[in-house]
Amino acid sequence: MTIPYKPRVKRQFVGGYQPRIDADEKAHGRAPYADDMISDRNYPGLLHAVVLRCPYPRARIVRMDVSKARALPGVKAVLTYEDPEVLRMKPTNAGWTDAVDTVSYEGMMWRKFRDRRVLGDYATWAGDEVGVAIAAISQQIAEQALKLVDVDWEVLPFELDPLKALKPGAPVIHPETASTNVLPPDPVGGPDVFLVKGDIEKGFAEADVVLEMDTKHHNPTQGSLDPWCCMATWEGDQLTIISNSYATDQTRMHVSQMLEIPIHKVRVVSKYVGGQFGRGDTGDQPFFIFTALLAKIAGQPVKFKHSRRDSFHDTRQPAQYHCKVGAKADGTITALHFKSIGDIGAHADHSVFALKFAPAEISEAALAPIPNIKMESYAVYTDHIPGCMMRGVGNSQFNFIFGRMIDGLAEKLGKDPIALSIQNFGHEWGSCPDASLKAVLETGAQRIGWTEKRHQPGTGPLYEGFKRRGVGFSVHPGWHAEWQEERRGQVQVKITLNPDCTVTLDAPTVETGTGSNTCNVLGCAEALGFLGIQPKDIAWVAAIDTDRGMRDCVQTDSAVSFLQSEVMIVAAQELKKKLLDTAASFLQLKTDDLEIVKGRIVGAGKEISVKELLMKGDLVPISVMISRHPASQRTGVPYIASFAEVEVDTSTGRTQVV
Amino acid sequence: MVDSPRNSVNEKINLRINGEWHEYEIGRDLEPCTTLSAFLRERLGFTGLKVSCDEGACGACTIILDGKAILSCMMLAVEADGKDVLTIEGLAKDDPVIEAFAEQSEPGHGTALQCGYCTPGFVMSVRALLNENPDPTLDEVKEALSGNLCRCGCYAGIVMAVRHASEKIAQRARQA
Repeated sequence: MTIPYKPRVKRQFVGGYQPRIDADEKAHGRAPYADDMISDRNYPGLLHAVVLRCPYPRARIVRMDVSKARALPGVKAVLTYEDPEVLRMKPTNAGWTDAVDTVSYEGMMWRKFRDRRVLGDYATWAGDEVGVAIAAISQQIAEQALKLVDVDWEVLPFELDPLKALKPGAPVIHPETASTNVLPPDPVGGPDVFLVKGDIEKGFAEADVVLEMDTKHHNPTQGSLDPWCCMATWEGDQLTIISNSYATDQTRMHVSQMLEIPIHKVRVVSKYVGGQFGRGDTGDQPFFIFTALLAKIAGQPVKFKHSRRDSFHDTRQPAQYHCKVGAKADGTITALHFKSIGDIGAHADHSVFALKFAPAEISEAALAPIPNIKMESYAVYTDHIPGCMMRGVGNSQFNFIFGRMIDGLAEKLGKDPIALSIQNFGHEWGSCPDASLKAVLETGAQRIGWTEKRHQPGTGPLYEGFKRRGVGFSVHPGWHAEWQEERRGQVQVKITLNPDCTVTLDAPTVETGTGSNTCNVLGCAEALGFLGIQPKDIAWVAAIDTDRGMRDCVQTDSAVSFLQSEVMIVAAQELKKKLLDTAASFLQLKTDDLEIVKGRIVGAGKEISVKELLMKGDLVPISVMISRHPASQRTGVPYIASFAEVEVDTSTGRTQVV
Repeated sequence: MVDSPRNSVNEKINLRINGEWHEYEIGRDLEPCTTLSAFLRERLGFTGLKVSCDEGACGACTIILDGKAILSCMMLAVEADGKDVLTIEGLAKDDPVIEAFAEQSEPGHGTALQCGYCTPGFVMSVRALLNENPDPTLDEVKEALSGNLCRCGCYAGIVMAVRHASEKIAQRARQA
């Protein structure tokens, strides 16, 4: 069912349907991605890099001989774990890639969990980058050279089961960060029991029904079609990196501090990125560092590109949840207990964010009316593939058990799960029932035909003799917006009015497909309504380049559009003021006497178009750059509900969305 | 004197790329093992096609060879000797398929692209489909595009773009 969108406020450009501003160049295949820009054709002499990946779940390099690889014709640079620039390198992790704000080494998240080495000698999963990186005149020669590296591995005992890895006496995987395989408390996630409200034992004692259940999430992968790639090139001591990173300013800080070179000697450029899906928040980024070092050794530009297999080397954190819920017969939830065990795999990275931070935020945004809550989590190292960030930062893992809990409790109480949700959930600074929650659930119910289709398990009709159907929903509080506003630091936007009344918009954010560029241009056209221009008169600067001197607003949490728009409105007003001052000076009138209406400056009986005014002047563009903190007053949490009807073939288990 | 195996093969290949014939020398312009996708992108600069999986699973490298949509990562450049290669750069600026993908934006279906990485592959698969079957059914569209992946999940918009491209072709035929 398609319901036409009705904006609450009628605006000229914002609030309708129109093609993306990049749709034409993308549909023509002309939009440049990093892999297109960094080609052999564009960079004659471009070298291609490869890195050794450990074939064992856990192993240490005892000895390595790279002499045969070095001697292979076409090999231009070999960097190993024994080289001094690698040996002195600081340990690192995904804290760099917390792209919500640019962070320094000392200020990054997860300072206690720096368990990644750039080309270390110790591997903790079968796929870990270790030991050696090689650059050669072609990918084939680089791969051939890698096969010539002679490695003596000390193959170590490994553990793939988090339930065994957390037991006392299990071999410790990262003794440098944790004395057991369970990550210790940290400032962001808090202790193992990271949330206690009221007294759950009292709450369970008051309950008429108590229910327990478990869920186990898998390891989905971000799977961007545009595999990670970068090119590093040096001109003297100036390093330039072109990549498909979605965070140029953060990448510059990362590279600067890891290589210990000043920020102004590092330039990072990104243009279009072929999908993000959380990849940019994973810790799998030491390749920026070894690619830069290889380029320095070789004195030539070096490209590193993930293969398709490499690009599957990070995943969403696969949490196992246990939930105990107690409720009165009337449906009032009296106590909730969530316990999760996260198989974080080989590296800690942002796993605690998914396991502790996200559920704590959801608790604030959805579980406020419930008097007794306890949440605990154990992030456990294993020798699996790392389980880190993928879109939703821990929401889908929590919502999996949360949805089951709602359904299970409704079934046990003989109640409707929608009514049960409206009765029990809401956020801390709102009221219960929550207006947004009620609206999305009731609208969804109406659209899918909830009343007619909903039935108790096993009681619905059979289709074709062996198929059954059911309807269900998942509900989620959009807590990210509030969090983003508080955490982003200053957001920067620059608007330049050219003498012909066209506009160049520097609203730096790497376009990953989310459409933030289109939103920016529409928002800018709206804010500059007084100029009487159209979106086509605004050029959005697509190449995000740290040398332009502005920090990019990173596209996480669907936050860019509202964060940058807010600043654009202020910049547009500032621009209007400057333009009026220019006009007053030219017309020899007072600024207060003038107004700008649809591109014409009028006042005191005089009138001139903005274009005419500017073209008669010194032709210097009028620029306004604004840096400001987003307004962070709490304005409420929008709830999201998804409904589906599914059909299960009871003879095969095949499930289809109807 | 017996020719060496290397001498017994044709050391030059001829490709008609986007309407123009070109001659390339093996060893100088390409290696016998160079894939068609790598040759077109890295050597000739046709970067519209993308190499995403490099193993025939995603469809991002789709081009049209002798009128049929093919995966250019699954073919050696030398295998294309004597053949007619059409890349997205060779389509007309006002190609109805390109226009339909660019313009697509409607309630309930959304856009036909987001990140855009898969788009050139989709465009070429659709172009080949509509060349043979200008008014396909939904099932025929699904079948023709079953080898193309869109990670952003714009399938609903893509299906509508195919329908609109089909309408544009019919409309232009009527006007011609």
